[in-house]
Amino acid sequence: MNLLRRWLPDRRWGVIAPPFLWLSLFFVIPFALVFKISLSEMAIAQPPYVPLLEYLDGVLNVRLNFGNYTWLFDDPLYADAYLSSLGIAAWSTVICLAIGYPMAYAISKMRGSLQNLCLLLVVLPSWTSLLIRVYAWMGILKNDGIINNVLLAVGLIAEPLRLLNTTGAVYVGIVYAYLPFMVLPLYANLTRMDPRLLEAAADLGARPLTRFLRITLPLSVGGVIAGSMLVFIPAVGEFVVPELLGGNEATMIGKVLWGEFFANRDWPVASAVATLMLLVLILPILLFHRYQSRELEVAR
Amino acid sequence: MDDYVSIQGLTKRFDDVVAVHDVSLNIRQGEIFALLGSSGCGKSTLLRCLAGFEVPSDGRVLLDGEPLASSEPHERPVNMMFQSYALFPHMTVESNVAFGLKQDRLPKAELRERVDAMLELVQLTELRRRKPHQLSGGQQQRVALARSLVKRPKLLLLDEPMGALDRKLRSRMQFEVAAIIERLGVTCMMVTHDQDEAMTMADRIAIMDAGRIVQIGTPDEIYEQPNCRFSAEFIGSVNLFDGTVADDERDHVTITTDDLESSLYVGHGITGYEGMAVAFALRPEKLFIARENPGRLHNQAHGRVEEIGYLGSHSVYHVRLDRGKLIQVITLNNERWAADRLRWGDAVWVHWDDEAGVVLTS
Repeated sequence: MNLLRRWLPDRRWGVIAPPFLWLSLFFVIPFALVFKISLSEMAIAQPPYVPLLEYLDGVLNVRLNFGNYTWLFDDPLYADAYLSSLGIAAWSTVICLAIGYPMAYAISKMRGSLQNLCLLLVVLPSWTSLLIRVYAWMGILKNDGIINNVLLAVGLIAEPLRLLNTTGAVYVGIVYAYLPFMVLPLYANLTRMDPRLLEAAADLGARPLTRFLRITLPLSVGGVIAGSMLVFIPAVGEFVVPELLGGNEATMIGKVLWGEFFANRDWPVASAVATLMLLVLILPILLFHRYQSRELEVAR
Repeated sequence: MDDYVSIQGLTKRFDDVVAVHDVSLNIRQGEIFALLGSSGCGKSTLLRCLAGFEVPSDGRVLLDGEPLASSEPHERPVNMMFQSYALFPHMTVESNVAFGLKQDRLPKAELRERVDAMLELVQLTELRRRKPHQLSGGQQQRVALARSLVKRPKLLLLDEPMGALDRKLRSRMQFEVAAIIERLGVTCMMVTHDQDEAMTMADRIAIMDAGRIVQIGTPDEIYEQPNCRFSAEFIGSVNLFDGTVADDERDHVTITTDDLESSLYVGHGITGYEGMAVAFALRPEKLFIARENPGRLHNQAHGRVEEIGYLGSHSVYHVRLDRGKLIQVITLNNERWAADRLRWGDAVWVHWDDEAGVVLTS
């Protein structure tokens, strides 16, 4: 009986299985496929790469090609793209935090009905496609766009400023697109905070600034980390914004990836680029998880 | 100093709800004073006015002769122990206790010394590096107490101090907390809905109802000499007989009531008049219960036992009197094996002394 029970699936599997299957199906398997392609060679064929395994005359040939990875390290284009992506994503995260924290803080201090309205306003733009919103930014930033027209009309400038196709435009686009992802977790964290903690601090003689720095801020670190990860991780691989607003100025890794896949049709190199990107992002993701599990422990 | 804390005509309105209505009371230096009332009676609002979290609509508060009204919470020489403590979850026990002193920019050595002494006093020296979530309820309470005492406040406020503890721990901590506060000689105002807590810890109690003070007195004054029906019914249990004054003499009063065959004889005078409608309050433990007729002229009644609650140290009898009134009688179980214990349905006589009850005129 005991032996039988040991081999039969545990009841706990019922709970663990769905997320496990979900992750396997939509993350592990696709990633394995990408990883496999990254180890093959490009070919003019359909699909455009040489298979890894070949069974010929009773011999199983496994051909692993690490050339794609060495290629990534040889050509400085890739390192530059990775570094500039990480840099742009990091600074965008900092800017989002600088704008998002005061927003989330202000919203969390409002009375109930106003809170919901403001949260709706934060989320509302996401109801239209990002692509359309980025196009709108092109209309605002281009040479005969709204900003330049206004500045020209007022007479502040004599000829249009180059706003579009600059790294600055990429920052504007990324910060704009990802701000809600910073505001929402911060808001969730700040509204959960017990107002009596601030009362207790005030009671013990802390002034408003001290109360913020010693109580509110440290207790919202979880929200800061969550928001930052939600901005930073997708921003690293962002494609639409640099493509449409950055022109040739900003080489972000998303654009390089796109170019390898669709312009060069070099799937193996594109896959290697994607795999490496994941490896680069794993570090912050792991840090995030470690912090989260520590938070959970405290909450218990 | 009898008016160390002096609350004068304090009123707090929220929109059109009056939470605290013209409350005036004085607290002596070094006294533990309890505000006792059911939830929503305004006691917490009054406490928050003293802490500075609420601004009174009217009236003023003097603390050691100084008016408190206009100063911000962080400027007041008043500290509060919050309900369920509000300990800072991201700080250690030590940092929680030190927080208040750090705001005063105390020299490091003195700060350490005072924190150490306070931790020693509440016996938390060993746990000083723990975070609040690693402590038991009783330990958390001691951290909260230490945190609110370390600044040596002129007035300590306790908001439902035992509210977050289970029953067993509660009765132990009541004595412990009161002992610590008394040892430091801090003047203290506590708010509670738990009468045991108020009576165990406080030197004096104010009973509050609907924003007003109903009665102020020592625990035994409040229990033995309630000044109105509300006080009598709020504290402990009581048997109330409605009646009218039949005979009003200097040294005694008789009251006729529909609930009893004989009249009530009260062995002291009252401020009232003949024919006045009054209530006679009789605490259950002041009654004697027996099978035999005590053969008195007054202050006795015949009835039948309807319910018996055996509570170990004492028993509660519900007795239905012949005229239909249900009364409670409490007897101490001071014999381990009583041969002649009363049973359900037994016909019994209850009687009481001439001085056992209180006449309530309001």
